[in-house]
Amino acid sequence: MAGVFVFSEDLALARQLLTPALELKASLGEPLVALTTSEAGAKELAALGADRAIWLKTEAAPEQLALALADLLGKEQASVVLVGGTLRGKHVASQVAARLDAAMATDAKTLKIADGKLEITRVLYAGLAVAEEVLVLPAVATVPARTFLPPSAVAQAGAVETVELAGDARVTITAVTATGNEGVDISAASMLVSIGRGFRKQDDVKLAADLAGAIKAELACTRGIAEDEHWLPIERYIGISGQTVKPELYLAVGLSGQVQHMVGCRESKLIVAVNNDERAPIFEAADYGIVGDLYQVLPLLTAALKN
Amino acid sequence: MPNLLVCYKWTLDEQDIKINPADLSLDSSRAKGKISDFDRMALEEAAQIVEKQGGAVDALSYGTPAVKQSLKDVLSRGPNKVYYIADASAEIADGAVTAKVLAAAARKLGGYDLILVGEGSSDAFNQQTGPRLAALLGLPCVSFVAKMTLEGNTLTATRKLADCTEQVTVTTPAVVQVLSEINKPRIPSMKQVLGASKKPSGEIKLADLGLSPQELAPKAVRKSVKGFVMSRKNVIYKESNAEANVQKLVASLAAEGLR
Ligand SMILES: Cc1cc2nc3c(=O)[nH]c(=O)nc-3n(C[C@H](O)[C@H](O)[C@H](O)COP(=O)(O)OP(=O)(O)OC[C@H]3O[C@@H](n4cnc5c(N)ncnc54)[C@H](O)[C@@H]3O)c2cc1C
Ligand SMILES: Nc1ncnc2c1ncn2[C@@H]1O[C@H](COP(=O)(O)O)[C@@H](O)[C@H]1O
Repeated sequence: MAGVFVFSEDLALARQLLTPALELKASLGEPLVALTTSEAGAKELAALGADRAIWLKTEAAPEQLALALADLLGKEQASVVLVGGTLRGKHVASQVAARLDAAMATDAKTLKIADGKLEITRVLYAGLAVAEEVLVLPAVATVPARTFLPPSAVAQAGAVETVELAGDARVTITAVTATGNEGVDISAASMLVSIGRGFRKQDDVKLAADLAGAIKAELACTRGIAEDEHWLPIERYIGISGQTVKPELYLAVGLSGQVQHMVGCRESKLIVAVNNDERAPIFEAADYGIVGDLYQVLPLLTAALKN
Repeated sequence: MPNLLVCYKWTLDEQDIKINPADLSLDSSRAKGKISDFDRMALEEAAQIVEKQGGAVDALSYGTPAVKQSLKDVLSRGPNKVYYIADASAEIADGAVTAKVLAAAARKLGGYDLILVGEGSSDAFNQQTGPRLAALLGLPCVSFVAKMTLEGNTLTATRKLADCTEQVTVTTPAVVQVLSEINKPRIPSMKQVLGASKKPSGEIKLADLGLSPQELAPKAVRKSVKGFVMSRKNVIYKESNAEANVQKLVASLAAEGLR
């Protein structure tokens, strides 16, 4: 077997994947090959340390490439395949793993080679526990965005190749609508005011927005607020199936603090909670908290912090 | 009329799992089982399809012998029949083994127009099983579906991805991975709960699926599992006077260098 491969349709994530891939390359003594769907992307990945970068020339959506990609990786006898952990990436990775009859780890947080196997860590029970898993090679792992920083450029860029791939046309895409991504990168904010179902109606979100304005924070939320109520865009919800953030301050208001949510913010420097239920799990996860009605506490807090 | 298969996992309720502070081991001795949260949406979606247009729903689960505790619960959520593979191997099954077992069982049962799975299991959250199953069965896979309609052999679905939504169509048979937002599962009524005990269940023996010991050997093996403990200051202000609480919090934030 030969080769540590990285694939992501998201170039920023593909760059990040190179960092753990370079380590795996060193341990295995095998070349590092980057796969991506744009020519410019391939050039860039070659400049960041990929020995070979393959531009997958295709009109197809990433998911439609899964089986063809698996065949390519099979021919190349890939040892390890790291895939950017977007939703599309998880679809691709799972089908590649099935086709190659390979082990797979979803959302690996650390990766290393030990005794000729891939050792990773990932969360279980939505964050209640952390597991170490050992995967026989060939192995596939998805890596969430922003788990690693991209590497710096190397002196000698790798070779760029082009491979034309035909997509699987059994699923026909008839329309694509961009979702109202406002372009905020919630993970970059140093302070977040995060809201949950303690807010009774959409208008009340203003109370949180005022507080956020007073301390120059961004708004975040729980899954229900984004997915069920649609009060905030989905890229603002935190948790196992949402974003992972590590701000200086995470101010959680009217949210219960279930593990599925907390796994996305528990590395915050300081966690502060406002909740009217003293027994809410959020208080165990908080550095400071106020037991009280958010409708009473938030205006007071906003006024006090404005000064 | 469509024939549907819903795959569901019987998992431990994570809210009942305690972390042993001495060694961070997990104590699940008091944990009850539950149908993996998002599989309830897959069951509900299948139920709604057959309520509208007729057809039948089977449910399928691969688990340890504890999976038998799930049968009545799952049958109260709509399926006409439940099939299960109860085998100790499920305890350490990884995504590869699970998909092979489910694929072999689906093949043996045969004749499904749609196979529905949840977005991710509430214990492992591998998000692998659906796409893997499709690849093994040679079926197209529609992942992350927020809305779907089935008309004859055509499934029209809305997929929800991070930065866009996609409308897709596919000719059945196909595998569909549904998002939790696709519906709000009903709480089974008393009538459904009582009706469940009259519905049939069928055990499928792992040995009858024709899988070799090699195929049943997990390729991802758990080396350790440790509970995650947060260590936080836990300073909670809970006077009845909200203003006093706010003042104390603001002082604390200042002491932390945040104001
Ligand atoms: C597999 C799986 C994955 C999941 N992934 C995610 C995820 O990624 N992100 C996520 O967020 N969730 C996720 N969830 C859902 C998660 O389990 C919780 O259900 C959810 O986070 C709870 O949202 P909440 O805190 O907004 O609502 P609730 O749990 O209903 O909490 C509302 C809180 O508000 C408090 N409250 C009510 N009124 C007031 C008031 N007037 N003043 C102050 N406080 C008040 C209540 O005491 C309560 O604690 C997932 C679930 C599963 C099963
Ligand atoms: N052991 C199992 N038996 C039946 N269905 C399963 C099993 N494991 C996973 N599934 C299905 O696959 C989905 C995704 O699971 P996972 O890949 O573990 O996140 C679940 O929501 C179920 O629908």
